Amino acid sequence: MTDVLKRPPVAVSSATPVRRRRRRVNVRAVVLYGLLLPGGLLFASVFVYAVLSALKPADEVLSTHWWPSRFVWSNFTLPFTTVPFARYYLNSVVVGVAVTLLNVVTCTLAAYSFSKFSYRGRTLLYLIVLATMMIPLEVIYVPLYALVFKLHWVNSFAGLIVPAGTSAFGILLMRQSINGLPDEVLDAARLDGAGEMRILWRIVAPMMTAPMSALALVVFMTTWDSHLWPLLVGSDDGHKTLPVGLAAMQADNAGATGIPMLVAAAVMAVLPTLLLFCFLQKRFVEGITMSAGIQ
Amino acid sequence: MTTLNVRASAHRKIIGAVFAVPALALFGLFAVYPMVRVFYISLFDYDLTSPPHWVGFANYGFLWHSEQFHQSLEATGFYLLFTYVPAVLLALLLALGLDTKLPGSGFIRLLYFAPVAMSWVAISVIWRLLFQPDGLLNQVLGTHTPWLTSAKSAEWALVIASVWKETGLFLILFLAGLSRIPRELREAASLDGAGAFRSFRYITLPLLKPMTAVVCVMAVIRGCQSFSPQVVLTGGSFKTQVVNLYVYKTAFENARMGRASAVAVLLFFALLMVTMLQLRLFRSGER
Amino acid sequence: MKKLSAVLALCVVGVAMTACGSGSSGSGDKVHLTFWTHTHPPMIALNKKLIAEYEKAHPNVTIDYQQIPNTDFNTKMLTSLSNGSGPDVINMDDVALRGDYIPKRLLAPMDSAAQTAAEGRYLPNTLDGAKGPDGKVYGLPTEFNATAFAINKAAFKKAGLDPADPPKTWDDVAADGKKLIAAGQGGFNFLYLSAGQYTQQLQILLNETGGRIVSDDGKKATIDQPLGVQALELWNTLVNKDKLGDPHTASHDATAPFADFEAGKTSMTVMYPWGVGQIAQDNPKTYKNMEVVPLPQVDPSKPNGRWYGYYMAVNKASKHQAEAWKFIDYVTSQNQRWLTDVNFIQPVKDWSSSPAAAKVPFLKVWEQAYQQGRFDEVAPHWAEVQDAIKTAIESTVLDGKPAGSTLKQAADTINQSLSE
Repeated sequence: MTDVLKRPPVAVSSATPVRRRRRRVNVRAVVLYGLLLPGGLLFASVFVYAVLSALKPADEVLSTHWWPSRFVWSNFTLPFTTVPFARYYLNSVVVGVAVTLLNVVTCTLAAYSFSKFSYRGRTLLYLIVLATMMIPLEVIYVPLYALVFKLHWVNSFAGLIVPAGTSAFGILLMRQSINGLPDEVLDAARLDGAGEMRILWRIVAPMMTAPMSALALVVFMTTWDSHLWPLLVGSDDGHKTLPVGLAAMQADNAGATGIPMLVAAAVMAVLPTLLLFCFLQKRFVEGITMSAGIQ
Repeated sequence: MTTLNVRASAHRKIIGAVFAVPALALFGLFAVYPMVRVFYISLFDYDLTSPPHWVGFANYGFLWHSEQFHQSLEATGFYLLFTYVPAVLLALLLALGLDTKLPGSGFIRLLYFAPVAMSWVAISVIWRLLFQPDGLLNQVLGTHTPWLTSAKSAEWALVIASVWKETGLFLILFLAGLSRIPRELREAASLDGAGAFRSFRYITLPLLKPMTAVVCVMAVIRGCQSFSPQVVLTGGSFKTQVVNLYVYKTAFENARMGRASAVAVLLFFALLMVTMLQLRLFRSGER
Repeated sequence: MKKLSAVLALCVVGVAMTACGSGSSGSGDKVHLTFWTHTHPPMIALNKKLIAEYEKAHPNVTIDYQQIPNTDFNTKMLTSLSNGSGPDVINMDDVALRGDYIPKRLLAPMDSAAQTAAEGRYLPNTLDGAKGPDGKVYGLPTEFNATAFAINKAAFKKAGLDPADPPKTWDDVAADGKKLIAAGQGGFNFLYLSAGQYTQQLQILLNETGGRIVSDDGKKATIDQPLGVQALELWNTLVNKDKLGDPHTASHDATAPFADFEAGKTSMTVMYPWGVGQIAQDNPKTYKNMEVVPLPQVDPSKPNGRWYGYYMAVNKASKHQAEAWKFIDYVTSQNQRWLTDVNFIQPVKDWSSSPAAAKVPFLKVWEQAYQQGRFDEVAPHWAEVQDAIKTAIESTVLDGKPAGSTLKQAADTINQSLSE
């Protein structure tokens, strides 16, 4: 208190920002390393437990000890030799990537349309799109299966990919984000003679990388994890995806022997999603600068 | 000049509408059409393998009196409230802390994200071990709770495992939302002498609103439609038979597609109403 | 440019639609059969061998064989049958056949000449698992199970018990179990898995007490009658009063039904022929110490057991029914190999005196178990009945509510289900 009083007024205005910033950085660092890091380790410990369990001998996996008495690395190679695990993996990657790309494209386009253009029926269409989110997927699978069967898409990649090619969640997410884009930016570009496609590609898309990344991640993860639909339309070995293959593996190895191998397979199945996250996460904190936002 | 403008804007409207066509085509065929079928089938007695038999609103009448259905609503309400409120709040706090470029922050984000990437089927093996009466969770807490095999604790066990699994998802969305708030704006606020809380309250939170809306809508839908954790951890025993699990069992184990469709329709309208309400609330606050 | 890109987006969809569409089956006298079973690795291996042999002998026939995990079997099957598709040949358990598939007329019966021949070939009553109320037979067994009991000889010796004098009644199980526990060995427990498995185990006890889940005409629940309550109380007493095992720590992993016996957490368990093979493969040490003995009884003077089987049947919607039956005939004619390769017993007459049977472990016990037994009860919407039973058992055994009241509640649920 007295310090502040003693200090000359001129110095206050020049010194404070620097100090404040430093203090904020310190608070941030304390919170990050002191609170969030231990919390994160707690969250990840279940995952670590899974990895360790995947390395255990079969008769230890149901015990509550953390550390394996010996490391059984073969649990990680066994899926490849006992089932066409590599093929399942490839199928999942093909389906996951295709569905994700389709979603990013269709959702961004539709969201842009719903957000920045006014035409008759727009609100109604958007509401219908949102409404499709509300019905539990399992019950629509029966009529959907009949439809996909008529298209001769049972046991084909088309059956696995196309019905999942867009998502109401994605459109909601993208529309909420595009809504925040000032119309002036778009109008300015139009005055400059830019076409709608060019505006989308050159102005909207670059500013939407963060929500697009989040969308890609969520869609990829959902597809990667989806189990029931792939079982219905892709249950032959050529089209089995990882979750279907894993479920069969689990049933096949009716016994404790199968569990470490199953967990190992599941740990390996996590990798693509984690890699995608590492790849995309920079987008989540980059932040847009004012100058890029308003030109 | 004006005619040109009018033509240009009409032209623009058409292009704008065309942008929505791919998504709408897919929706029409693979979501709206089957959904309309579900509405229609909810008026039939349909065992999937014999021709449907018209019963009018009898399926709805049945649900009105069905104790099992009412229990499934309770289970869903409990799960939604105690899983998704903490998960969303936790995700928001984490996002505020993790929205930084300090070294190692990427790694810490990965730690929170890892559970999201694991499939329920596989991770259930691990959670069942942790929940054992002599398992790690009880060791840490110094208790001997039969987490998954008692009506007193099973719903809480599901909450614990689900908060762990779902928080990372909302964290991603909040981080994506935060990244769209110009950093200068928040820093400017701090420079103005606004405290951390005030800058959060008056700058960050309002600007984060569109994403918060997405998160809240998604949380409610995921909460109401959840059934994977219930299937793999408790099989719906001990008061954990949530609505969607009831739908699934009714449709495929008991082969009563009409009744399952009726539940789906009710769930549909409930969710639609809640979602509209949420979106309206979030929009009204914007202005 | 702008239109181009919009069109491009559409094309992505279009190309994926047309490029990936797979053609349907061929024409002419080529026959393409699809065949679905649940998963059980030794069985899958033998099925694959038999398919290869059959395709070689019948060059015009190709067989597409798919395995679907038990947990998803019904969903997959019902969805595909709902639009008249589905496999030509189905391998399915008798409860599903008698409870659902036969009454709903989804299967094609054997013609009467073939049925007469089959009835001459199999042991009396063993085809009843696939028989409709019309007296027609709808399937031939690939796997036929009867109940017995397994004990861990090493644990028995450590507890000062004589493995040559195994428990003959459930009271014996309680007495021996207490001694085993006192000696630090595992005791006895039931399995806490799916609704189906809960019901099957209660059915074992019901067969012995004489209780029934529903009345013979299938119209009314009888599980809350004294003999039904007695069955659940027997279960509850063994586990919670005699403390032979903790139901909370028992393995709840439906894919590992013998995990606790293999790990030594229990020294006694209900056993089926296929389980012996499973344990031999999973845990040779336990297998070496295992002895299979007759199922303990409530009343040893009137022994009773449980029968269940998996049958191969033909989809009524199949366009190749005759070919499908020919394939089934071939698979089921290989009963010696089913014994040697998979430990599956097919109840043909004199199966136990065949050369392959001589190598079956504990043959005498199994032979005896096949003398008496009954198939599980079924009624319409059996899955709902199973669910009600599961809830009752869990409330009593795991949550400590009295058997009388939980079964009363189950009976109410079942009655509602039956009355619709």
